[in-house]
Amino acid sequence: MPKLTIDGIEVEVEAGTTILQACETIGVEIPRFCYHERLNIAGNCRMCLVEVEKAPKPVASCAMPVAEGMVVHTDTPGVHKARKGVMEFLLINHPLDCPICDQGGECDLQDQAMAFGGDRGRYAESKRAVRDKDFGPLISTWMTRCIHCTRCIRFSKEVAGVPELGATGRGENMEVTTYVEKALSSELSGNMIDLCPVGALTNRPYAFKARPWELRKTESIDVMDAVGANIRVDVRGNEVLRVLPRLNEEINEEWISDKTRFACDGLSKQRLDRPYLRVDGKLQPTTWAAAFAAIADKVKGLPGSKIAAIAGDQADAEAMMALKDLMAGLGSANIDCRQDGAAIDASTRAAYLFNSTIAGIEDADAILLIGSNPRWEAPLVNARIRKRYLRGGLKVGVLGERLNLTYGYEHLGTDAGPLQSILDGSHAFAQVLKDAKRPMIILGMGALSRPDGAAILGLARKLAEATGAVSEEWNSFNLLHTAAARVGGLDLGFVPGQGGRDVAGILDGAQKGEISVVYLLAADEIDTAKLGNAFVIYQGHHGDAGAHRADVILPGAAYTEKNATYVNLEGRVQRTQLAVFPPGDAKEDWKILRALSEALGHKLPYDGIVQLRARMAQVNPVFATVDEVVPASWGSFGGEGELSGAPFVSPIKNFYMTDPISRSSKTMADCSALFVNGQQEKTGTHG
Amino acid sequence: MADFVDGYVLPTAIIVAQILAIVLPLLVAVAYLTYAERKVIAAMQMRKGPNVVGPFGLLQPLADGLKLFMKETVVPSGANRAVFVLAPMLTFILSLIAWAVIPFNEGWVLADINVGVLYLFAISSLGVYGIIMAGWASNSKYAFLGAMRSAAQMVSYEVSIGLVMISVLLTAGTLNLSQLVEAQKTVWYVIPHLPMFVIFFISALAETNRAPFDLPEAEAELVSGYNVEYSSMTFALFFLGEYANMILMSGIMTILFLGGWLPPLDIAPFNWIPGIVWFGLKVALLLFGFLWVRATFPRYRYDQLMRLGWKVFLPFSLIWLVLTAGVLMATGWVPTK
Amino acid sequence: MSFLDRSARAFLLTELLSGMALTLRYMFKPKATINYPFEKGPLSPRFRGEHALRRYPNGEERCISCKLCEAVCPALAITIEGDVRADDGSRRTRRYDIDMTKCIYCGMCQESCPVDAIVEGPNFEFATETRSELMYNKEKLLANGDRWETELAARIAADAPYR
Repeated sequence: MPKLTIDGIEVEVEAGTTILQACETIGVEIPRFCYHERLNIAGNCRMCLVEVEKAPKPVASCAMPVAEGMVVHTDTPGVHKARKGVMEFLLINHPLDCPICDQGGECDLQDQAMAFGGDRGRYAESKRAVRDKDFGPLISTWMTRCIHCTRCIRFSKEVAGVPELGATGRGENMEVTTYVEKALSSELSGNMIDLCPVGALTNRPYAFKARPWELRKTESIDVMDAVGANIRVDVRGNEVLRVLPRLNEEINEEWISDKTRFACDGLSKQRLDRPYLRVDGKLQPTTWAAAFAAIADKVKGLPGSKIAAIAGDQADAEAMMALKDLMAGLGSANIDCRQDGAAIDASTRAAYLFNSTIAGIEDADAILLIGSNPRWEAPLVNARIRKRYLRGGLKVGVLGERLNLTYGYEHLGTDAGPLQSILDGSHAFAQVLKDAKRPMIILGMGALSRPDGAAILGLARKLAEATGAVSEEWNSFNLLHTAAARVGGLDLGFVPGQGGRDVAGILDGAQKGEISVVYLLAADEIDTAKLGNAFVIYQGHHGDAGAHRADVILPGAAYTEKNATYVNLEGRVQRTQLAVFPPGDAKEDWKILRALSEALGHKLPYDGIVQLRARMAQVNPVFATVDEVVPASWGSFGGEGELSGAPFVSPIKNFYMTDPISRSSKTMADCSALFVNGQQEKTGTHG
Repeated sequence: MADFVDGYVLPTAIIVAQILAIVLPLLVAVAYLTYAERKVIAAMQMRKGPNVVGPFGLLQPLADGLKLFMKETVVPSGANRAVFVLAPMLTFILSLIAWAVIPFNEGWVLADINVGVLYLFAISSLGVYGIIMAGWASNSKYAFLGAMRSAAQMVSYEVSIGLVMISVLLTAGTLNLSQLVEAQKTVWYVIPHLPMFVIFFISALAETNRAPFDLPEAEAELVSGYNVEYSSMTFALFFLGEYANMILMSGIMTILFLGGWLPPLDIAPFNWIPGIVWFGLKVALLLFGFLWVRATFPRYRYDQLMRLGWKVFLPFSLIWLVLTAGVLMATGWVPTK
Repeated sequence: MSFLDRSARAFLLTELLSGMALTLRYMFKPKATINYPFEKGPLSPRFRGEHALRRYPNGEERCISCKLCEAVCPALAITIEGDVRADDGSRRTRRYDIDMTKCIYCGMCQESCPVDAIVEGPNFEFATETRSELMYNKEKLLANGDRWETELAARIAADAPYR
């Protein structure tokens, strides 16, 4: 542990720490552009120069490891002069176009030029101009503004694992480029916008829309996938303009996926802003009272067994709680939150959680992925696996599609066949799992939402027990969910009760006429053609599949428009905050259900969100522990049976369109046209 | 019949014609006094004054009159209607009937009565009633306060005006206004009675509620005083009455001190000019004085106003009266007739 | 002596008379006022009157939607919505409104403008009959700019040496 002195303060840090990091431990801020704590050290911006005694020249503090007895000065005239000089060099080729630059107001270069730069330039020659590159529909480039910090290059190489960016030329002729004209095919590419210290890479859909100082910032939770990334929603007026990541080391570090970041334009399109009622085969706008009256007309007097409810993938826990209580009041046990019909065992909590937690991936040394494409199902989980992979010593085995997961893995097969042989030790990968100190099994929805899902779940449990993935201090039997609402629904017990039907049963019943009223709580991923002649009540925020089939539409609120609870795949209870108000007549979902319950004569016993949350905590105590992961106790779950020979298929066919919000988003439509439907190949030389 | 015509109709017609001959030019004079006031004050404040309506803005008073005429007469709901409407009429009529005894030239007088000065004094004392009625009938605190101030002020200054008049009367030995003018053939009374002329002028300012004694109107505190609730023609009548009163006071001063229609010197070019012109010029000069004072001095405080009236003017004019009488007795210049 | 002096002054009304002499002198001085609607007083090139959005000589609007004027406006009278212009992808305003009833004519907007787009022109005669006419939109401001451009350019040129 070397000891050094920084500005007269003695500090002891671990060997290998850089001077800059040592300065941060005592709160001395060193200006920097290229240094980023989650990326490799490049040391090419020279902004972090400090004086070290006995060193002949100022040293770049981001790249200099500390040494015993070092005496560092960060606030001397020499340091100020050095910073001023570096700033002047950086500004030589940086255009003075702050007024038209979207980074203006949140620009590192702007801030540091104010803090450390000079007040006039001496450079009178012509400035460099660089042709802008086409990085696709998400990132607009202004390459003249680039100061060559190479953060974006390092991000794409290290974090995203898509080494498509690089630099050509040297000195003044250096350019950041994709070599061939190509859109960045990473689902984390949006993070480069945040990383870029200047306005060279900016948010294309948000271009020129607003200035940072006019935005209202609300801290919230993402629901585009089950990871529950922490986000900040930036709003002007009643419009969500952009979504930014919020630091949470346990979940998303400081990254978010492109869908999280860019699907927000879908929040203002295709919205249901007033109740609708189907009259003579056509949906007509109506009032809340009339919609409730129509529902009451249908439901009153109906036996509970003829009523069913399905909760969608973005339903909040409050609404599911209210719907569950309402259905119980109506005497129905036909409720389910597993739209894809995944054979998840809701009785044991450990059976449906990502037990190791996302941060726990960093401790694993062998991972078996079963029927999952984490790159699309949970890009941030995939980024964690890559982070662990880069550290070395991680062996990954994949049972499923052969895809580019951004890290090396051993492909063990496309179907469930090898699972049995791994379990009985005859497969080569069984030894890998056995030798590993911290083996991990990740079970995707692609494996569970098939007829033999229960059998695969059972096998996976046995495998976890056999390989030591489950022990006293280490539980890495992990389910990789794809729906933000799923774990919350399972925690609340939004699954068929005694004698109740599951999703398949409900659809079957509706088709046969055994079920005459179906309540869809933002459920759009079911086959609506199978609903037969049932009276369908759709409560949701977008005019998607469910709303098209509905007989009554009750307009609800999207995740940015309500204070709601979501449980992420680790079982972490998190809360969104209201950033904008629901459009038109739309209301928060639990309030709709509360009002409807009164119209149906089964008044729910809570008048406010505090009472409702108390009821949730009563149903499952985890809802009382917000932002924490409560370890779940192990149990026996899963079934037995024949495995089918069908190959595993990821439930996500198109990463950019998985839910009503992203399906309504123009940006996401552009992305899927480009990246998923293969038009990327047609650009460039394919002309 | 002829008797009737000769005895009644003809004299009546003549009198009406005479009245009109006085009143109509008087009203025109009032109109142009307002114009002159705006122009003179503007000039003293280095402004231009009205200059848009007609050449040099000469039609401005007509435009103002027309505007007032076209406006709606608003009677406040809490007002005593009869008194409210009667008050401006009274003020206006009183300001006009005083003119009956004013001699414009030798023999040019509607009623050459021997108690002309007393008549004038009586009429001008009645002027306060119009204001009191207006202030009371308006049922408004501003109007009422303005009227109270006005009444107190007019009563106070009438005392000194009366004493000043007595000094002059002693010197002239007559109450007939024409004879008063004739008595100044040798010397205008402004010369022996200069201090009395000054007191009379200042008291006339107070009597007509003019600046610097315009406390009853004090815009800043009473928003406009007793006429705050008046609009349109009722307001116009007050306005006409006030300005006619100013001209009247100037006329009285001309007769008492400036020798009425007499030329300054009874020699060649001066006595070619008719007496009415001299009378008009003297009145105009005094009116200019009214305006000049308004442009020069700030408003008095009410207690200062009262102090000036009772503690300065009253004793001073009393002493002067005694002095006048003493001098007349001692020198034997007492007029005998 | 001073008593006599004071009494003499008081009785001879010297103060009143000197005051009146002063006003009489002023009566014959040249007038300070002008015949306003027909003649107008001189205006400084820095006079801050009605707002206008200027254009470049080639007809391109100057405003680049940087929103500095909106940010600096102490009366919150300016509202801007920016967007990408469809035909050339440049940064332009979709909406540029000034609420002239809120504006306090401080001139901070023109000070903050990096491209001299929003300026306060020499026009001070823009009274309207209705309040809503004082809610200026981009169209009105650009029309103002077109109407006053010659004068606006001359004013900026005249003030340039002092900046």
